[in-house]
Amino acid sequence: MYQDTVVEDKLLHKPAFLAGLFAIAFIVAYYMDFSQGLIGHLLSPVHGTPEESGVLGRFNSAFFVALLFTLNLFAISFLPFRQQVLVVWLELLALFLGFFFTFDLSMEFIQKKIWFMISKGLATTLYISAISITIATVLALIGAVAKLSSNGFAYGIASFYTSFFRGVPLLMQVYLIYLGMPQMGFVIDAVPAGILALSLCYGAYMTEIFRAGIQSIGQGQWEGARALGFGFGQMMRRIILPQSIPLIIPPTGNQFIAMLKDSTLVSTIGVIELMFLARTLGNKTFNHMEMLITAALIYWLLSIVLEVIQSRIERHYKQSTSR
Amino acid sequence: MKHLSKLLVASAFLAAPLSTAFAGETLDRIMDAGSIKVSTDPNWPPQSFLNDDNDFDGFDVDVAREIAKRMGVEVEFVTPSWDIITAGNWNGRWDMSVGSMTPTKERAKVLSFPAVYYYTPASFAVHNDSTATKLSDLDGKVVGASTASTFDLYLRHDLTIDAEGAPAFEYQVKAGEIKNFESSTVGFDDLRLGDGVRLSGMVTSLPSIMEAIANDYPVKVLGEPAFYEPLSVAIDLGDDELGAKIADAVAAMREDGTLKAMSEKWYGVDYTSAN
Amino acid sequence: MSNTATNPIIEIKDLNKWYGDFHALTDINLSVNLGERIVICGPSGSGKSTLIRCINRLEAHQKGLLQVDGIEVHDRMKNVEKLRADVGMVFQHFNLFPHMTILDNCTAAPRYVLGQDQQTAEAKAMELLERVKIPQQANKFPSQLSGGQQQRVAIARSLCMDPSIMLFDEPTSALDPEMVSEVLDTMVDLAQSGMTMLGVTHEMGFARKVADRVIFMDEGKIVEENDPETFFTKPKHPRTIDFLSQILQH
Repeated sequence: MYQDTVVEDKLLHKPAFLAGLFAIAFIVAYYMDFSQGLIGHLLSPVHGTPEESGVLGRFNSAFFVALLFTLNLFAISFLPFRQQVLVVWLELLALFLGFFFTFDLSMEFIQKKIWFMISKGLATTLYISAISITIATVLALIGAVAKLSSNGFAYGIASFYTSFFRGVPLLMQVYLIYLGMPQMGFVIDAVPAGILALSLCYGAYMTEIFRAGIQSIGQGQWEGARALGFGFGQMMRRIILPQSIPLIIPPTGNQFIAMLKDSTLVSTIGVIELMFLARTLGNKTFNHMEMLITAALIYWLLSIVLEVIQSRIERHYKQSTSR
Repeated sequence: MKHLSKLLVASAFLAAPLSTAFAGETLDRIMDAGSIKVSTDPNWPPQSFLNDDNDFDGFDVDVAREIAKRMGVEVEFVTPSWDIITAGNWNGRWDMSVGSMTPTKERAKVLSFPAVYYYTPASFAVHNDSTATKLSDLDGKVVGASTASTFDLYLRHDLTIDAEGAPAFEYQVKAGEIKNFESSTVGFDDLRLGDGVRLSGMVTSLPSIMEAIANDYPVKVLGEPAFYEPLSVAIDLGDDELGAKIADAVAAMREDGTLKAMSEKWYGVDYTSAN
Repeated sequence: MSNTATNPIIEIKDLNKWYGDFHALTDINLSVNLGERIVICGPSGSGKSTLIRCINRLEAHQKGLLQVDGIEVHDRMKNVEKLRADVGMVFQHFNLFPHMTILDNCTAAPRYVLGQDQQTAEAKAMELLERVKIPQQANKFPSQLSGGQQQRVAIARSLCMDPSIMLFDEPTSALDPEMVSEVLDTMVDLAQSGMTMLGVTHEMGFARKVADRVIFMDEGKIVEENDPETFFTKPKHPRTIDFLSQILQH
């Protein structure tokens, strides 16, 4: 998006908007009733102990929360863009963690298990995802070229492939491959079956991404290369694909992040990866919330890391093409 | 025509399950490798779970280890999901399931059950606030059971237990709605939210309920056990020699009191015979 | 008409092309000798670009004979890459590869098509960039150059393949006016070196200066063909007269 050069008045600096915001926050806070918690305690000099404060306590704490909320937004609105982003992130993160802490989690249990979750679970997840995305990339490349070719067989096979594997739920593909392949005489283990299912499914999605990337290269580039005597393979490799890559990378990065999370499905066929451990480790002692939240945070952190890597790669390609 | 017939042969070949093991084949492979692959689902404490050392542990795991020991081989555990185990056609991916499986008629079509090793009471659990006093008080309510389990079949009035020494039972609950979940821990989490919030009751093994109560879940056992399920070792169809070997091992464990000791270790009670 | 063909490098007989129902080229006959320089002009949509794009098979023709350097060009030919490597082409919109430096643009085809080693290819590329007077831009990317500079790179890029023939498809029409002459100078220089050239252009000054023949096309047919002097001073066909009056008026 290209920003306009004219700066509009900030919505948060309009008294009417602030008042409205305050009113909504007040109603929500009143409904949620903060009088019995930390805020009620803080305000006890005003209206007595939380237990006795009654409606007044509820009103006071709602007023306090709404005021805090509105003033906070008002204060943030004066910050420059980058700091705004930072403060918003930190506040949401604090709220989020606060939400987790209300579950009364056993930190001790998390500490005891987290290393095993990372060394065994995360390692398997990463291993499966990395191999799958590599195979998927190769499949996507072949699929895209086939889908763009004038060969009826190639197009037929490629379009059947993308149609089926995009149209069938991934979990079902995992089952079909794991249970179906042995019917044809190929008994494959859980990990290869999972990798195969993920590769085929994401290969199908990425085929469309690659196809769009290749199609976006103008006719002039194809003619320029052909007129110089390039054969098909060299033309794709040297001229067309290098120009498609900057267009392919952002959606492929998204696919990789999605795959990381979809790899949880292979836990159903007995692959001991992060999700499997998240579900089983806490079972004996009924600490499963601890494990689920820990795994959730691990997945999230990993996605953030991948997003950063993706934007680095994007920046790299931006520099080399449009200087 | 020649091509057509070739095609037909090929497709018939593909359709036929090629997995049927020849007699003694699985056993030979186990003995040659010196290790037996056992499927287990560590989602079912205290039968099977990951302990503090992140290792497999529990009653089923102990029984599996003991059977292997008596066969003179090592154990290797694999963790396919329950419905994949009960689907049969293991194709040698694993050799034996010691997973507290009830030998139903349906399962006997795809699996073989060489040895029943204990009987657990299946009971209904309700929230502490529940006013129900007997099983029929749950009639018309939302009742839960884990997917594809005997508990689920019981709720659906479709349970046939086809094993020696299994006591008869009758259906005492007509659930209004049956809710299924992946494992009973999910059911307990639903139940703890309050009476009737998501579930009015659930049916699962009595030991699981005792385990939840021991972990401060606000649940209690309702009435008497609904049925006793015999729980058996399972193997793939087609290798009776392996089955005989396992049956011998379990019989010997029963004989010398090993099995009883294990039951008492994990459940505090002897579940190794019915009632 | 044309010189008695001693050594025709391009031979076109009764060439016809259709786009669906539209008859784009009708019974084209043209013979080009080695070293000859031919300018094709005509109103827009007259089929002139289509004709030269048929020569290196960027377009398919449906009927008639087309031979380039003794090789017949048709839809089942096996060695189209070899033909194209031998026929240079300069496009209206340059078609430089934006992800490569100027030098890489020039060395790509020699290296990957002809299999030359990098050093040889680069030496040759630098020599040709000198010739089109932009060696100092060698390490820049196309988007950093002006239109005129880009078109000169495109010419150099084609020349790096040592072609026997150069085709020009309206090489100056996409340029800002002040950049036209630098490209034309390069083309004149090339013409004087003896290169066989076939170009679609409306630059009549260029046609007068270097062309051996000027061909006028209209509605997919060759309407008139003559040496530049006669063509410009005594056009015969009314359509030619009409066309020339329009483009020379201003």
